[in-house]
Amino acid sequence: MTYATLIFAPIALAFVGYALFSQRGNVVRGIALTTFALQFIVAIGLYNQLPATGYLDLGAFLSVDAFHFALSLRVDTLSVVMLLLSTMLLILVTLSSWTMEKSAAYFSLLIGFSGAIMGVFMTTNLLWFFIFWELTLLPMFFLVGIWGGEQRVYAAIKFFLYTHVASMLLLLALFLIYKQTGVWDVTLIKEAAIATPALVWWLLFIGFAVKMPLFPFHTWLPDAHVQAPAPVSALLAGVLLKMGAYGLIRFVIELMPEVSREHALYMLTLGLLTAFFAGLLAIYEQHLKKMVAYSSISHMGLVMVALSTVTVEGLSAALFEMVGHAFIISPLFLIAGMIYHQTGSYQMRDMGGMMQKAPYLSAIFVLAGMAALGMPATMGFVGELTVYLSAIAHYGAWVAIIALLSMLSAGYLIWSMRRVIYGELSPLMRNSQFVIHRIEFAALVVFGLLIVLFGVYPQPIFDAANHSFAYFGGRS
Amino acid sequence: MSPFALVFGTALLSPLISHTRWLKGLSLLILAIAGFNLSLGEGIGLTYFAQTDAIRFFEGIILIVAAAIVLHFDHDDHGTLTQLLLIVAASMALLESSTLLSFVITFEAMSIISFVLVSNIKDSKQAEGAIKLFFTGATATGIILFGLALFTLSGHSIDTALGNDYDAFSLIALSLIFIGILYKLTIFPMHAWAADSYAQVSHSNAAILSALMKTVVAVATFHLFSPVLAQLSMPSIYGLATLAVITMTLGNMLALYQRNIARMLAYSSIAHAGYMLIPFAAIASQFAHIGLLYLAVAYLFMQTAVFLILARLYQDDGIETLADLKGLAQRNPLYALLFSVQLLSLAGIPLLAGFMSKAVAFYAGVDAGLWLFVLIALLNSALSVGYYAWIIKQLYFDAPTKDRPLVSRLGFVLGELILVAGTLYFGVVAIDVFKVIGGN
Repeated sequence: MTYATLIFAPIALAFVGYALFSQRGNVVRGIALTTFALQFIVAIGLYNQLPATGYLDLGAFLSVDAFHFALSLRVDTLSVVMLLLSTMLLILVTLSSWTMEKSAAYFSLLIGFSGAIMGVFMTTNLLWFFIFWELTLLPMFFLVGIWGGEQRVYAAIKFFLYTHVASMLLLLALFLIYKQTGVWDVTLIKEAAIATPALVWWLLFIGFAVKMPLFPFHTWLPDAHVQAPAPVSALLAGVLLKMGAYGLIRFVIELMPEVSREHALYMLTLGLLTAFFAGLLAIYEQHLKKMVAYSSISHMGLVMVALSTVTVEGLSAALFEMVGHAFIISPLFLIAGMIYHQTGSYQMRDMGGMMQKAPYLSAIFVLAGMAALGMPATMGFVGELTVYLSAIAHYGAWVAIIALLSMLSAGYLIWSMRRVIYGELSPLMRNSQFVIHRIEFAALVVFGLLIVLFGVYPQPIFDAANHSFAYFGGRS
Repeated sequence: MSPFALVFGTALLSPLISHTRWLKGLSLLILAIAGFNLSLGEGIGLTYFAQTDAIRFFEGIILIVAAAIVLHFDHDDHGTLTQLLLIVAASMALLESSTLLSFVITFEAMSIISFVLVSNIKDSKQAEGAIKLFFTGATATGIILFGLALFTLSGHSIDTALGNDYDAFSLIALSLIFIGILYKLTIFPMHAWAADSYAQVSHSNAAILSALMKTVVAVATFHLFSPVLAQLSMPSIYGLATLAVITMTLGNMLALYQRNIARMLAYSSIAHAGYMLIPFAAIASQFAHIGLLYLAVAYLFMQTAVFLILARLYQDDGIETLADLKGLAQRNPLYALLFSVQLLSLAGIPLLAGFMSKAVAFYAGVDAGLWLFVLIALLNSALSVGYYAWIIKQLYFDAPTKDRPLVSRLGFVLGELILVAGTLYFGVVAIDVFKVIGGN
């Protein structure tokens, strides 16, 4: 078996599975779970094979020598961590969508998505990276457009167009890099060989910033996240936004550390603006899911702040915060979706007293919410602390103002808990049943356990981060 | 026997068996044999004609696409089938033309066959489309012949291959010929006829006109004119690139406003003509030739496929506007899937030929130093998602307005499967196109 199979087999399987079992969603769901589990196992296998430094070469396929173009698969610790994270999320998202309607098509799209996402994190060839990067849009477009809420068509097309247009800047940057260096493989490019570094840097940066998303390019996200069905929102936040951050690390900061240092203040400013702006919007928001979406943007702003330091500490903090963000925001989205499913409303003013109707669900919501605002013994605390520390170590004490952000997030999260979970039982909540399938609930419990596990014992992620970025300081 | 002679001979003799049911099968057989002979390296083999690897490869693609079109035809469509075979033969001759003389003659032959093709008029709308095609075709012919006359006046012979050392006067003459050809390529400001013609003639004819003929003319022109293009000064190159971006922007903008699917695809065809002009402007790059060939191959598969699907939908269900498409995915999932894949390919979504071809062609532009033009082209390509995704929205996101399921037709589905296989194959495997240009 070649490693290219990991990418193309799921894409083919998506079509075959749907063609054979279009009326039997349970079978496709089983295929999906098996596929993701296999991918997860392969990713663990890759993790154990990683060399002490540098990349593990998995072969090159479909070579076009005249164009220096080949599907070269190389992974390092960073890519394997992203693979592990994505496949784990895909499994949990599948469990969370256990009772999804039109399930054959839904799970086929997830299977196809998993192939594209493997490609994104495994290839080091710039053009193939772009191919998979864009390919992830398609399943998301259909997932939002078919299973989404009332404004789903608007949200799906806006999401598709917005991110696709931004990707074109990315593609132009990749063209310029190849023109100036003569190679498509990111591991072979020397920063000094890029003749117009500032132009390339900005094109790349904007291309990735839209996906992340950074202020002022974030406007596609609230629509897409709110209209998408809850498991897909979790996937968008947990995988798609991570692609943006991964792209920034691999193709901007690792590729051009010097130019990135020169532009550090732009990155810092945008990161801070994103974090604060989204935090303020979250406070203002009455719509539960939109509040979670803005909280998600705000946390990605923190990731950007950590990345802007261009140091090993900053990159490690960013990686931890990325993983933490995936595990924290996903259950919040899922629970928001469940509440909507039961009550038919996202408006926090109509809610209250959920603790009396669904105590376990409420407990997980509180746990994830507390993690999002950085409570000790959760992933959120470790993530935010390391981000703050790396930023203060690099920029000086004045950056400590970002600690205000914790207050801001405490503001919107605690207030939303007050309005949704505690307080008097509202009529809306009283008339709802809160019947939740036990497998969907189990997925939430797993999220809760992961949040606490890595909050108490963050070492595995930092080990991986040290391993990923060990050579970073030395090379630049 | 040369593939050209085979196809041409069959077309001439086809009236003899046109009253039987055998013509469709015979055509497929002949196309297969022609493809086999082509793979042995047989060209026309006459003076003024020459075959290169790239041309042979493209002729092979034409035979495959022609087979898909034949499969789509009903058994009583004999007139159109004969015209198709004639056009395939003319395409081969045009592609292999190595001199200005043979180029102009075969170009004219192809135009005249296209006039005959659209003259099978069933209503006044089709008549309007056919007349527009005819008048602009005649105008183009006039301009080309005038250019040819000027070219001979400047003392050059027209029965040798074009060189690269022309004086200003002969360059003007050649430019006139080139402008005449741009009519057929639907480049701004010679594009206006195309939207009406493609939308108004029958959809299967539109597939032949907008996909097959356009790509053949583009590849043949590039083949013949590349020495002259290489001689152009930088301002002329910028002029060409400007025409390219105006054409694609105009095509895409107007496509956004269409309610009629055929008209939308017609404007999208104009936009694609703009993309195809980028490699012409990027002649300084070693990838220009590959880029154009790749664009042509990809476009041939996708554009033929979408117009054939439209023809089938119109014939079986009277579908004309976007609103008629609503919920097609529930009425016939296979048609909806085939349609969507080709539309996404036209929109330049990866793992499909549309993306890979644009990537190579636009890279050629960057390579030749035209990166600002390429940026506009890329943004255009991204914006075009706006209307392609809108069609897909009708297919998948909306509820059907009619309950009657749509029955799949075997021949048509086979043809579409051939075309979608091409779109997928050339979207993943780029090596074949690079191989035929040399250097790999």
